[in-house]
Amino acid sequence: MAALETPQSSTLRQAFGNVIKYESVIHEFDPYFNYRVTQFLTKNGIYDFWNWFDDRTWYPLGRVIGGTVYPGLTLTAGTLWRIMNSLNIPLSVETVCVFTAPIFSAFASWAAYLLTKEVKGVGAGLTAAALLAMVPSYISRSVAGSYDNEAVAIFALIFTFYLYIKALNTGSLFYATLNAISYFYMVCSWGGYTFIINLIPMHVLLCIVTGRYSSRLYIAYAPLVVLGTLLASLVPVVGFNAVMTSEHFASFLVFIIIHVVALVYYIKGILSPQMFKVAVTLVVSIGLIVCGAVLAVLIAMVASSPTKGWSGRSLSLLDPTYASKYIPIIASVSEHQPPTWPSYFMDINVLAFLVPAGIIACFLPLSDASSFAVLYIVTSVYFSGVMVRLMLVLAPAACIMSGIALSEAFGVFTRSIKFQLPGVTQNSPVNAGDTGNVMQNDVVKTEKSEDSLKERPSRKNKKKEKDNVERATVVPKTEKRLSVLPLEASVIAIFLLVLLGAFYVVHCVWAAAEAYSAPSIVLTSRSHDGLHVFDDFREAYGWLRHNTEVDDKVASWWDYGYQTTAMANRTVIVDNNTWNNTHIATVGTAMSSPEKAAWEIFNSLDVKYVLVVFGGLVGYPSDDINKFLWMVRIGGGVFPHIKEPDYLRDGQYRIDSQATPTMLNSLMYKLSYYRFVETDGKGFDRVRNTEIGKKYFKLTHFEEVFTTHHWMVRLYKLKPPKNRIRGKTKKAKSKASSKRSGTLKKNPWH
Amino acid sequence: MPSPVGRWLQVKACGLVQKSSSLAKVLLFSAVDQAATRRSQPEAVHCTNTQKIEKMGRSTATKDAQALFRTLHSAYAATPTNLKIIDLYIVFAVVTAVIQVVYMAIVGSFPFNSFLSGLLSCVGTAVLAVCLRIQVNKENKEFKDLPPERAFADFVLCNVVLHLVIMNFLG
Repeated sequence: MAALETPQSSTLRQAFGNVIKYESVIHEFDPYFNYRVTQFLTKNGIYDFWNWFDDRTWYPLGRVIGGTVYPGLTLTAGTLWRIMNSLNIPLSVETVCVFTAPIFSAFASWAAYLLTKEVKGVGAGLTAAALLAMVPSYISRSVAGSYDNEAVAIFALIFTFYLYIKALNTGSLFYATLNAISYFYMVCSWGGYTFIINLIPMHVLLCIVTGRYSSRLYIAYAPLVVLGTLLASLVPVVGFNAVMTSEHFASFLVFIIIHVVALVYYIKGILSPQMFKVAVTLVVSIGLIVCGAVLAVLIAMVASSPTKGWSGRSLSLLDPTYASKYIPIIASVSEHQPPTWPSYFMDINVLAFLVPAGIIACFLPLSDASSFAVLYIVTSVYFSGVMVRLMLVLAPAACIMSGIALSEAFGVFTRSIKFQLPGVTQNSPVNAGDTGNVMQNDVVKTEKSEDSLKERPSRKNKKKEKDNVERATVVPKTEKRLSVLPLEASVIAIFLLVLLGAFYVVHCVWAAAEAYSAPSIVLTSRSHDGLHVFDDFREAYGWLRHNTEVDDKVASWWDYGYQTTAMANRTVIVDNNTWNNTHIATVGTAMSSPEKAAWEIFNSLDVKYVLVVFGGLVGYPSDDINKFLWMVRIGGGVFPHIKEPDYLRDGQYRIDSQATPTMLNSLMYKLSYYRFVETDGKGFDRVRNTEIGKKYFKLTHFEEVFTTHHWMVRLYKLKPPKNRIRGKTKKAKSKASSKRSGTLKKNPWH
Repeated sequence: MPSPVGRWLQVKACGLVQKSSSLAKVLLFSAVDQAATRRSQPEAVHCTNTQKIEKMGRSTATKDAQALFRTLHSAYAATPTNLKIIDLYIVFAVVTAVIQVVYMAIVGSFPFNSFLSGLLSCVGTAVLAVCLRIQVNKENKEFKDLPPERAFADFVLCNVVLHLVIMNFLG
């Protein structure tokens, strides 16, 4: 265990790197929402949190927080804060939130050690834990400040798998109970729990099909299904989905299958072989008819729902093109895009080519636990190829496999060296017992070792295996000598492996420091005169907080919703939860329409301020003009008068003089480039690398109230409607108003 | 002179009889009845004896089923009493679950969480009792090092957790 402390301390050291560099601040977008929820929890207690209806977001709809949030993370942080404060350690909620992720990443590395120890042994466990401590993919989600669900969920995932494998290896109902409780914690924490409840049944089915059914499998699986379903229904977000959506049906199906198989084995045990054949023919004829009827009913039920019972996000995992065809919101999130090849190397580095070696090592010999590890890596590789966000699920699997591979390789090389060093006698069979547990079966092919392979009972019979091993090592040493590698080759190989590890560490530290430490709320850049810090976001939110009324509504694109509610404390129209597509499409339509129409839409939503992010002055690439096409697409998906080709010139998206008039008149263009020509006289946009099309224009329905220091965030206020209307329209309006006593404000929806 | 239709029917009946007799042959192999030895020449079937053979085929099947149930009964009677008590408990739990499902089918599933927790509590106790039976069964070589007190303690613990959750979910 002492060796285990170093991986954990290295995790912590890396995770704190960005706190040293920037400050203790919460990163990104989603963590702000979680932080706000935790604040509410610590202030008002759990009953109010459970029943909380939030009216500061999704105006005028509101959001039922208690029923739509995964409470695991906030409850964990809230409990930690409570414990700290009751011990009179006065930590603020923000500090606890910022540092929750690194603490749980240390726990995750410990859980990876336990899991790999169950699969292969202590050496592999330590290596896997050391690898997971540093892998960049996991670091990216567990830096101090990344207060998101995955910080806690990955620990819960690995720990649940460990308890499942432990229950499978020992056949103990105690571990099966703990497994169900850990699964409950996972359901509380992350929507990715469906991965567990589909992977474990898949593994059980694999074991049954490959003839590895045993009563330990039943004990490990059946209580998990019953308890797990019940516990999952307890969480309000999941509720009855635990028994009604297709994502859970696999577990029920395998539950039935395992009962049938258990019954068959039981009857086989008490009957003689001839009578068993009779029973088989009798049952098969009746059973087929019954099964066919039940299956037909089930298929009819499932086929009657349009998505066959699956949710949109799960469907887009199975069919990667589904989202881009039907749900543009899911397709537009950058985390949901498929990853590029270089991102594999960036995120798991050296592990990418150690994984195949690990898979082979798992097959020598194949046990229930190692077949689970292989299944885990294969499924997670597929899912990581669909969505870049799921590289995070691949990382622990890759670490486990690479840990196994590295430890096996080290075992072979060190043993080769040991047996070839001059003066070493043959009285070291005891050492061969632990690491050689697996290698023995590869090296010495006596009958005894094959017996110990076949009757793979619970770990309690390890003593018996040890006896076998000791007897086997008395076998002539010449056999072992033959399958040992030459001394020089082993020494060089060990040196190269250590070098590989060194490169991995260097890469991980670099990635953590440079690529993943940036809290995207504060940006930095290096130039010839030092480090520039761009703190525009907080500047804008601070301005909003201090210079507007408490009840003012702010409209922006949904990316900034959480941050606005948390830091500026103002009501927003749409935020990152993206649960209501029509509402987001309304805002998108407003951004794409000309000024007057946009004013009408915003006025109908009681909006006072509009927030726009603009990166053209400093070269910040994720600004709203770059996201504008998604606004058009999403708006056009609901309101057909917004057509994407209207904004493109010859299929190309431009904002210079060749841009279409619809584009140049849209609200987004006007709000981003208002008075932009005053900065350098030419209006050169540093992100799009062109001069803008329309340079001199006035705003008729909006007025600018604030622009931050680097022009990154711009705030506009809706002008109140005019009291009098002058000019030609007056006669038409008076005629119209004499016909109906309507107000001056027209409702755009009629 | 039999009509063409009649001839066709006879051929079909012969085929059916031969199929059923081959099935009877399979069943016969596993029957321990002394009567089976009398019928051990199915190849010498004549189409004229169709009806007698058919009746014998059907009665062989039922005789085999009866033989099967008799062996099952005798094998089960040999299990120790403590396992039989656990089996009775399992049967009780399953019957209760069935009663609940029938009741739900009649009355409707309105407080769905109550129905779910009631049903899953029955299924859960059945599953846990099966686990206990597996661990306590002396013929199970994998668990011979496990003291039955530990098995029972695990069983009680798991039941406590299960029922805690059910009480919470019952509403």
